[in-house]
Amino acid sequence: MTANPDIQTAGRRQTATLSIFLVIQTLGTVFFVGDVIGDLREDPLSVHFIFEAVVTAALVLGILFGTFALRRTIELLRAQDQALQVARGALSEVIDRQFQTWALTPAERDVGFLALKGLDVAEIAALRGAAQGTVRAQLTRIYSKAGVSGRAQFAAFFVEDLLGEGVPDAAPQAAQ
Amino acid sequence: MATPRTFAAPPALWDPVVRLTHWGIAISVLVNAALDEGGSLLHVTLGWLVLALLVLRLVWGVLGPREARFSAFPPNPLAALRHLGQLFSGRVSEYPSHNPAGAMMAYAFWACLALVTLTGLYMTGGATPMQVAADKAAVASGDWSALIKESEGESSDERSDEDKGLRHTAEEVHEVVANLLLILAALHVAGVFVEARAMRRNLVAPMVLGQRRK
Repeated sequence: MTANPDIQTAGRRQTATLSIFLVIQTLGTVFFVGDVIGDLREDPLSVHFIFEAVVTAALVLGILFGTFALRRTIELLRAQDQALQVARGALSEVIDRQFQTWALTPAERDVGFLALKGLDVAEIAALRGAAQGTVRAQLTRIYSKAGVSGRAQFAAFFVEDLLGEGVPDAAPQAAQ
Repeated sequence: MATPRTFAAPPALWDPVVRLTHWGIAISVLVNAALDEGGSLLHVTLGWLVLALLVLRLVWGVLGPREARFSAFPPNPLAALRHLGQLFSGRVSEYPSHNPAGAMMAYAFWACLALVTLTGLYMTGGATPMQVAADKAAVASGDWSALIKESEGESSDERSDEDKGLRHTAEEVHEVVANLLLILAALHVAGVFVEARAMRRNLVAPMVLGQRRK
């Protein structure tokens, strides 16, 4: 319904791919470590052994760094998801409170939410099983109770708070 | 950046490393115990794979995210017994990672897996799947010297009795611990069902793909 599942799916795919890569890397490293231990019994001072030991050490380090990076990615994804949920919860709380202040009826509240989600009159009417005329009338009443000119201003009412101060003033100056 | 969890509940979805190592080891152990022949190319390959997965899971137990780390489920036999007692009375507490009994199961699994792979390595003389394949190909093409090298531990006079004894012990341990692994696996599956009933929670989904969202 929203963009969030896509972000999550992408994150999941990324971490899953990294994990599979890590498994393959570990498999290779375990072979090499086994080989080095085998060589250690034969001739620990040969160039061959020293070279292989260095390469194997690099592989082991690679796994450790890969593991650490994967853990950071997983934690970052979780933190983002949580922040998004907090923001979403906070926004819906703000909207709820504002709707109460405007004294919207339960039906108007539903229509108002759907309008904020970007559904048009026909879609809202179909969802609520009501006539399009009814929905249009409800929207008009909502706009007049909120004191806004139309849907654009209605939506902007809630976004404005999220944008922070200074932006509306700075924009016209920058345009000149 | 670790996100503190406000309530203790097992994860809705285990991270991909935990899931990959879990299912990779589970399938490899089942195949090696039931389907293929000891010493065969597949058996040795899966043995190495299990060793790699085990190493990765143990590294992940130190470097992984919170619920995958050993610190989230320290081995505590007393707590495990207490948890099993709770299970009988029907009221179980929730834990952010494995429950204490599940944790003991995990450590038992890891100990057995380490034993079974290390004894396996000893039995093959540390031969990689490539070497096993090369030896088999050599024997198939009529060069039987590989066979002599393979069974050196048993037939050669150079080896002492002590070595033979060690090899015999390794074989015994390998077999006993492999059977123990199967018993643990059966217990593990039974445990998951009992816990899921007691907690009224799907415990299998987090180990597969998590709850599908509408």
